[in-house]
Amino acid sequence: MDFDFSDDQEQLRDAVRKWVDKGYDFERRRAIVAAGGFDRAAYGELAELGLTGLYVSEAHGGMGMGPTEAMVTMEELGRGIVLEPLAQTLMTSATLQTHAPAVLQAAWLPRMAAGEAIVVLAHQERGARYQLSRCAAQASESGGQWTVTGTKSLVAAGDQADAYVVPAMVHNPGGNQLALFLVERSASGVATQAYATQDGSRAAEVALTQAPAQLITLQGMGALEEAVDIGIACVCAEAVGVMDKTLAITVEYMNTRKQFGVAIASFQALRHRVADMKMQLELGRSMSYYASLKLHAPAEERRRAMARAKYQLGTSMRFIGQQAVQLHGGIAVTDEYIVSHYFKKLTQLDMTFGDTLHQLGEVSARMQDTAGVFA
Amino acid sequence: MDLAFTPEELAFRDEIRTWVKGNLPADIAHKVHNAMRLTRDDMQRWAKILGKKGWLGWGWPTQFGGPGWTAVQKHLFEEECALAGAPRVVPFGPVMVAPVIMAFGNAEQHKRFLPGIASGEVWWSQGYSEPGSGSDLASLKTRAERVGDKYIVNGQKTWTTLGQYGEWIFCLVRTSTEGKPQTGISFLLIDMKSPGITVRPIKLLDGECEVNEVWFDNVEVPAENLVGEENKGWNYAKHLLAHERTNIADVNRAKRELERLKRIAKNEGVYDDLRFRDEIAKLEVDIVALEMLVLRVLSAEKSGKNSLDIAGLLKIKGSEIQQRYTELMMLAAGPFALPCIFEAMDAGWQGDFPGGTLTNAPLAANYFNMRKTTIYGGSNEVQRNIVAQTVLG
Repeated sequence: MDFDFSDDQEQLRDAVRKWVDKGYDFERRRAIVAAGGFDRAAYGELAELGLTGLYVSEAHGGMGMGPTEAMVTMEELGRGIVLEPLAQTLMTSATLQTHAPAVLQAAWLPRMAAGEAIVVLAHQERGARYQLSRCAAQASESGGQWTVTGTKSLVAAGDQADAYVVPAMVHNPGGNQLALFLVERSASGVATQAYATQDGSRAAEVALTQAPAQLITLQGMGALEEAVDIGIACVCAEAVGVMDKTLAITVEYMNTRKQFGVAIASFQALRHRVADMKMQLELGRSMSYYASLKLHAPAEERRRAMARAKYQLGTSMRFIGQQAVQLHGGIAVTDEYIVSHYFKKLTQLDMTFGDTLHQLGEVSARMQDTAGVFA
Repeated sequence: MDLAFTPEELAFRDEIRTWVKGNLPADIAHKVHNAMRLTRDDMQRWAKILGKKGWLGWGWPTQFGGPGWTAVQKHLFEEECALAGAPRVVPFGPVMVAPVIMAFGNAEQHKRFLPGIASGEVWWSQGYSEPGSGSDLASLKTRAERVGDKYIVNGQKTWTTLGQYGEWIFCLVRTSTEGKPQTGISFLLIDMKSPGITVRPIKLLDGECEVNEVWFDNVEVPAENLVGEENKGWNYAKHLLAHERTNIADVNRAKRELERLKRIAKNEGVYDDLRFRDEIAKLEVDIVALEMLVLRVLSAEKSGKNSLDIAGLLKIKGSEIQQRYTELMMLAAGPFALPCIFEAMDAGWQGDFPGGTLTNAPLAANYFNMRKTTIYGGSNEVQRNIVAQTVLG
């Protein structure tokens, strides 16, 4: 039981923080949002730092790191509310590395690690909300070639990515099963329609019409759950970074802003809200550690842990976001001031991979007689 | 970064588990698991069993006869005791006054007081709060006047937990009215059999007399019972608080009580009512998050890092959780928590409890009783002031 970071992990944190502070300031972010919410150049800078290959083995040109390094990285990106979807790369690279045939790994992982290829998860469907098992997309095989037909929503940077990891149903005599495929954006039968999401980042509807696909695994449900759990751990860590910075911005403002002749930080009614924000931040940070450290646990334990963690982070994000706006007052509801962007990011992260109510249902359904960090 | 305990720590836990299983009296564990009334004898019996093993002062260093455990070992010991259904050790002797005597008392005081605390023979009480001094403890007025080789103590303490059983009491007393209120306070050990001391139990809302008023009327206390220096008592009391960070969160007991809540909810048919079940699920997440917070503080202690900024949160969250599980237990029983039959909370009662299930008898009383947790030990509002200070300056 040890929650200290190693020297290497601290160095990684410093490197990412330095890039966020110097290379990704609010003005650059604002320009990226105005230009559509995704900047390939910025993504390339993440690759230069080695982050796109964080989970990729050294044999495939990556850094071969683990969940703690991913957590450290996502926290720092959260502090800068970075738009480029590194979490997607962490999810898809881990999925390919664990489940894809060697040929597919060799074709994609080195390019993903180098930042030359972006692969994102395209699992969300209309009507499915947060249920991973609800999948209308269909896959079929003919003459050794798989094709996938279906429409996926809210695909991160969906019109910019080079390929998608796509869950689709395969019909077997013994019943239907969910499988995972890799579909290239440039393939025939792929149409995208991009739009902005509430946090300023970019997403797309991806329509697949008999699009050629490569099979990753027929055991798709377990693999999809693994991918989403990596995503949940990423979101939790990112949320910690966003909340940490949101609180810091709020504290600075409260010590500067004067009303009734004094800094508003002197008012006890406001100070107690800040204490409660600190509480939610540290509960959230604790459960983010918990999520990342449970990623390698057996599936049932892992799923339960992710639900608990995401419920806590959702609760923390909602509280800290709303309080930050209230404590700032009117300035916080303007587009010009930075805190509204942190608030929107927190709101979106809550609704990514299962919101608070959904996760509460998961925790509730998975309860056992005993409970604790180790059970 | 590693969530798992080391193999050595796990072996230690197993050793404790085996010992507790073999030595905790079954009748006591049964009462604890069902929140029945514990007698003075129950509490003393367990304290003496621990004392005989050398574990009543489980946080003590070896030089004073303690086991010299690490912060993690102490945590594991507390967890095993709590989960097995051991009563909470009455903390005033082994956990509260002993560390102050060790750190600031003289060799004579070590020899005189520590053995009786370590064995569980002597029952200690705490004399801090006064009718006019609650959260603002430093405003305390109980006066100790030095006359020759004695102090003459006059005043009143209150909320003295289990003081009706107390043989000795450690008090914060005013020895000076000059300067800041904090600088005129001394730490005095007082024999409760001294002439002039009156203990009056206070009946609480749950019908129990858990706390007392303690009156001092020209009580003579030998000057040798002063711990450390005169007028430095406030610092000693603060030292005590700094050494009681994780214990106050009481997360181990919360884990045991969560199990009890689930048993009660199943028994009362509300465990499968999603509206109720979700409330248990929220509490479960709260408890896991609190446990992670505790583990983070322990890890920081292990590597010698300062974790003060999160340790302050433990009391707030821990106390809220204690209130919540008692509240949910009561709500699970619903109308059957309402019959107020005190005898039904005693082990072995043979009467007919309305609503049928005897384990429902203490639920409302427990709920009422737990309202204290956000008030005592520095009210949660005072704790928020402290947390806000660390964040806002």
